Amino acid sequence: MKTVHFTINGETYRREVAEHKTLLHFLREDLGYTGTKEGCGAGECGACTIILNGKAVNSCLVLAAEADGSVIETIEGEASGNTLTEIQQAFDRNHAVQCGFCTAGMVMTVKDLFRRNAHPTRPEVIEGIEGNFCRCTGYEQIIEAVLDAAEHGAAEEISARDAGTTKEVSDA
Amino acid sequence: MLHDFLYHDPGSMADALSFLREHGEESTVFSGGTDLFVAIRAGLTMPQHVVDLKGIDELHSLSWSDAEGLSIGACVTVNDLVESAIVREKFPVLYAAGSELATFQLRNRATVIGNIVTASPCGDMSSPLLVHGGQVVLSSAAGERKMPLGEFITGVKRTLIRSDEIVSRIVVPADWAGAAGGYEKLKRIKGHDLGVVAVAMIKSSAGFRVAISSAAPTPLLLPDFSPTATEEEIRKTAQEMITPIDDVRATAEYRAYMVDVYIRRLMKSLEGNT
Repeated sequence: MKTVHFTINGETYRREVAEHKTLLHFLREDLGYTGTKEGCGAGECGACTIILNGKAVNSCLVLAAEADGSVIETIEGEASGNTLTEIQQAFDRNHAVQCGFCTAGMVMTVKDLFRRNAHPTRPEVIEGIEGNFCRCTGYEQIIEAVLDAAEHGAAEEISARDAGTTKEVSDA
Repeated sequence: MLHDFLYHDPGSMADALSFLREHGEESTVFSGGTDLFVAIRAGLTMPQHVVDLKGIDELHSLSWSDAEGLSIGACVTVNDLVESAIVREKFPVLYAAGSELATFQLRNRATVIGNIVTASPCGDMSSPLLVHGGQVVLSSAAGERKMPLGEFITGVKRTLIRSDEIVSRIVVPADWAGAAGGYEKLKRIKGHDLGVVAVAMIKSSAGFRVAISSAAPTPLLLPDFSPTATEEEIRKTAQEMITPIDDVRATAEYRAYMVDVYIRRLMKSLEGNT
């Protein structure tokens, strides 16, 4: 067992963790963050995508022990109560969710994409979500949702949240 | 679920190397883990110890000097490589191949050296490093040794690394830095995929260098070609040297054909560059 410290969606944790446990299983089984999904478990499908120290990663290929001292963002940190983020609202508007299994990873990947590129072109969106499989939508609705989210200021909303002020607060 | 191994995160090279001197046979070192944890999960390897190199500061170094060339440390990720201004400027073929390797998420974790040490015939980093004369630096408690990448990889998933060693860095000499280059990779789909076959080519006033992946048990470096070498000469040499196989991704015949197509395509794209 190893003692690890994390910040997950702004909350600090100190836990004992089995050294061979993946970060994905630690989040889901030990901490109850079941929003993040396990698809292939081999880094192919992106369902388990989280943001680790500011970088999108496949949490199925990271050990919880490795992530000691890190800052983690998961899907649970996105909506605030019943208020969805711009990305989530755009997914909703554009019917980009069918079974929903890929959605948590997809949203985290898109969040990371917007931090690097506030207004991606269509080819950049396609390349950006290359590491996230969706077996329902055929991707078209997801691509539309990402472009729509950009138009609705998703990147600006993320920067505002990163700066410690929510959009609601800055609007008020 | 992964088997019950122990995790170690040495904070210095000295600690890592002394651990490997004692326990190297039962250990696997890693940085990105993007190959290791897939292999462990599949039961292909069952190390008692996994040794995480990311706590060793010097292994994160990606640096350039006119004398030595480019030095890529063991923990430099593929995204570190492709985001580097010096790599984009001086090693376009490394940039091109890095951008084609797996997905963005995986490139955030996967390291350049991990791709080499895995020694897969289809590794995207091998051919570009081979054409640039990459040298592998192996460190152990007993000292350091250096060898050409072409000698280091000896077969499918086989290298000359000893159990007490770490590939601490790869040095890419300065002599072909700035050479124009291209990387052509055949995939089954437009998105991310393992290479079915790939060709890396660079061209400078000194001539041409060509390496081919997924067409032999190891990535293959062709002999140097003079600046006046003809397309026919390079195509003929390539066809004589490759030993492709039939597998789930393609037939040997298709691989050989596409090697030929890519050589012609790269020669054409590099016309006018010296």
